[in-house]
Amino acid sequence: MSPSLQQEICIVLHDDTIREDALAWAVRTGDPAFDDWEGFTDWLEADPAHAAAYDAIAAAADDGAEAEAARPMADNDDNDEPTDRRVSRRWFNGALVAGLAALVAFGMWQAEGGPTTYSTLPGETRLIALDDGGSIELAGGSKLVLGEEGDHFARLEDGQALFTLHHDASEPFTVAIGEDRLVDIGTVFDVRTGNGELTVAVSQGAVLFNPQGQNVRVDPGEVLTSAAGSSDYEVSSVAPEMIGEWRDGRLTFQQASLARVATDLSRATGIDFTAAPGNETQSVSGSVLIAPLKDDPQAIGALLGISVRKGKTGWVLDAR
Amino acid sequence: MSAPTPLALAFQEHRDQLLRFLRARGAGDTAEDLLQEVWIKVSSAKPGPIASPKAYLFSIANRLMIDHYRSAKQAAQRERNWTEASGGTGTDQSDAPSAERVVLGQEYARLAQRTLDELGPRPAAIFRRHRVDEVPQRKIAEEFGVSLSTVESDLRRAYRALTELKERMDEV
Repeated sequence: MSPSLQQEICIVLHDDTIREDALAWAVRTGDPAFDDWEGFTDWLEADPAHAAAYDAIAAAADDGAEAEAARPMADNDDNDEPTDRRVSRRWFNGALVAGLAALVAFGMWQAEGGPTTYSTLPGETRLIALDDGGSIELAGGSKLVLGEEGDHFARLEDGQALFTLHHDASEPFTVAIGEDRLVDIGTVFDVRTGNGELTVAVSQGAVLFNPQGQNVRVDPGEVLTSAAGSSDYEVSSVAPEMIGEWRDGRLTFQQASLARVATDLSRATGIDFTAAPGNETQSVSGSVLIAPLKDDPQAIGALLGISVRKGKTGWVLDAR
Repeated sequence: MSAPTPLALAFQEHRDQLLRFLRARGAGDTAEDLLQEVWIKVSSAKPGPIASPKAYLFSIANRLMIDHYRSAKQAAQRERNWTEASGGTGTDQSDAPSAERVVLGQEYARLAQRTLDELGPRPAAIFRRHRVDEVPQRKIAEEFGVSLSTVESDLRRAYRALTELKERMDEV
């Protein structure tokens, strides 16, 4: 290992310790019963970075408390108002115009041993670094829970994720999607859930689909599709370079339903797309770049040979 | 001339410690000024009976530092937003809340609420009870039928998630 890399790792570990300590102090000093101000002063004096870490946490907790105080208690669900939706889109468009990738690496802190939930807003992606050097990239509008059943367990509750795992034969990684289980055999694979079906596409290594049930092995260049709650499945071929290409800002559809196209476009752009009622199962093929669609959503019509019209809350995709 | 209040006595007694604390908190050269600010707050406030005047003084000093940090950060953010919005040439900066700022505030509030919800019902409720209803941690432990360390652990999780959210939003 190069000295600079080693040094960097030390700094990261050091920062983690500071954050842990700062979190503990922020919680304790916020209570009226706290009386160890000498101990707190000693900790602050030990390193100027301590005060900085403490301030960032205390301020974030204050901001969070203000947001929480403003929450309308009668309405706890997350359904956006139409104006809110416009706001999100604008915010993320702004980020893209500024040329900043909304891709943030996160160390996976196993917070107090419990499961950790990661989620993304539509139009956002997120990289989750695993302790063993593997990673999970979460597409827009997705939700994933890590650590429900040990370190090597993830549940994809919604959306899409690309898993790049270091295979450990003694403790393989399991991905749960509803009742279905995927178990890795040394692996890069993409999992998607939504529109009532699960798809898993393998780019490297292999994945076992429901080892306790159908026990199907999915190899590189294969994609398995199974309807949620059904034991039926279908395996077809896929170009390996297409797998996970959403990370590079591209979506490719092979005989995909309009409903699926709408879901994937919404997740990737943060713009609301729906399939026209009655034509949800109409199938479509084509490949599109995501970024230009954010400025011109209607262009999807020409690109995929479908019709696009403005609906009440967003864009409606229909057969031509 | 009235007798000095318990708070005034505590202030005199712990003056040096408070100064040391403010410096350690990052006050630097302004520590003396901030100590004076603490005194003004203490002498103008009419708190009820105080169990520990010393803890009360340190809390006020600590709160002062957090408030300073927050307003400095907000000012920096305003400047950054303005510079970005005006293509980096603007000098005519306004303190009025722009539409953009209001929009960002609403966006943040929604994300913060979602972040807390994602921690699960108990940590979210404990955070609310402590930070919005201002209930002491030991009392919350009794209310929820859990140990004090569980309350602390839930609050740490909430603080961590909110800090990470801020970091993500600052980076975008």
